Amino acid sequence: MTRNVFNIFCKEFGSYFRSGMAYFMLMIYAVLSMVAAFFGGYYFQLSNYNLFSFFYFQPEVFTLLIPALTMKLWADERRYGTLELLLSQPLGYTELVAGKFLAAWGFCLLMLLASVPLWMTTAQYMTLDNQNILFSYFSCLLAAGALCAVGCTVSSFSANPVTAYIAALAVCLLLKVVNFDFILKSAASGSDLFIRISHSLNFDSHFASMISGQINAGSIAYFIILTLLGLWLNVVSIGYKRS
Amino acid sequence: MLLVQNLSKSFGNIRAVDNVSFCLNNGEVTALLGPNGAGKTTLMRLITGFYGADSGDIRIDGCDINTARTNALSKLSYVPETGALYNDMTVYEYLKFMAGLRNMDEQGFVDNLVYLSRQLELSGVINQRCETLSKGFKRRTALAGALIHRPKLLILDEPTEGLDPNQKFSIRRFIREYGRRNTVIISTHIMEEVEAMADRVILLNHGKLVRDTSPQELKLLTPDHNIETAFRSVTEEGSGAAQ
Repeated sequence: MTRNVFNIFCKEFGSYFRSGMAYFMLMIYAVLSMVAAFFGGYYFQLSNYNLFSFFYFQPEVFTLLIPALTMKLWADERRYGTLELLLSQPLGYTELVAGKFLAAWGFCLLMLLASVPLWMTTAQYMTLDNQNILFSYFSCLLAAGALCAVGCTVSSFSANPVTAYIAALAVCLLLKVVNFDFILKSAASGSDLFIRISHSLNFDSHFASMISGQINAGSIAYFIILTLLGLWLNVVSIGYKRS
Repeated sequence: MLLVQNLSKSFGNIRAVDNVSFCLNNGEVTALLGPNGAGKTTLMRLITGFYGADSGDIRIDGCDINTARTNALSKLSYVPETGALYNDMTVYEYLKFMAGLRNMDEQGFVDNLVYLSRQLELSGVINQRCETLSKGFKRRTALAGALIHRPKLLILDEPTEGLDPNQKFSIRRFIREYGRRNTVIISTHIMEEVEAMADRVILLNHGKLVRDTSPQELKLLTPDHNIETAFRSVTEEGSGAAQ
């Protein structure tokens, strides 16, 4: 089981580097994150003892980049006919899905590691709340995992990576806008239940509560459930093709 | 080695495979013949677990494809018609990946790599990316990937499609040789291939098994003892009956 997952992980993770996509994505991530932190997050104006300016925009950066990481995972297998080859190997669907998901998630970890120099540099100039920063990195990783699972699932429904990217982006945006004021106001004069449901489904509000330093079990559960749900749907969609 | 019993598969109203039963023994090369749309590829996809059957059983070396899928698939290898490869990998990386999926140890992989490189003349392209290979080398790399773990059951869809006469000759000789110790199924439209390689012919028409015989006996069905005429006679007879 573990060896098979590792083999699929290595294939997909290596594919990011073989195709040159990894270098491009790391560069884009660094530029987007820094632009968002310095210009959108008022990095120099605020007291960034917890790198809030940097972490605050991570969901937006991930929403743009993670669908690009996941779009080819299944779509290319279908496009080039290798899905037939892969599904005739002695692998469980769970192993296949886990290997591909871990490759995308692992790459997100690499992207986050690329931001560590910002942490190190800021630490030269002020005293940082390192515990809070570590927890914020953990929150980013959890959020990235949820988006990777969504992206993987969407990719398994399409044979075209561009379609997979757009569809995954749409689903990720949906998770973000569900709590927007205009939606709440337009829905049945904002009944309490509706507001509570939309708030509990909103990606950003869970993320914001986590990077603010509160250890919120509900938010951690939200990301874990979203990840598991995405992966389960991915396994089901692969199995569905068989039937 | 392979037992197929009362196998059926429909796509909507189209019955692609209709109550097909046969048993293949070790040391046989079997040609799956039939006109376009006869159900050959569907039958192969059912055997390789890519599709699930509506009804019927498939047992590979005693393992049921539904209840012991991983065990059953560990005994077979399949090369789809497209000869699908991972284009961003080199030939070596591809073969290493395929060996990894079969849990081969390093020594076993190296031994088989050396053997297959010689037999399929891949030594010159072993470090070349798959996307840069000619069609002939792509077919041979796909075949090498399928043979890297020396499967007991080898399933090939149009194995010599797109190859030049010299390559066809060497691949046919190799498959013939491999089939002496193992079970090989080939799907083909080329009658000379059937005569050159097959010990047995399974003829499908409209999803039904219409003949299970040897190439010699198939030839005897027509006065001119020609396998192509016999094929036409059997499949047109089947079409007439169906109409």
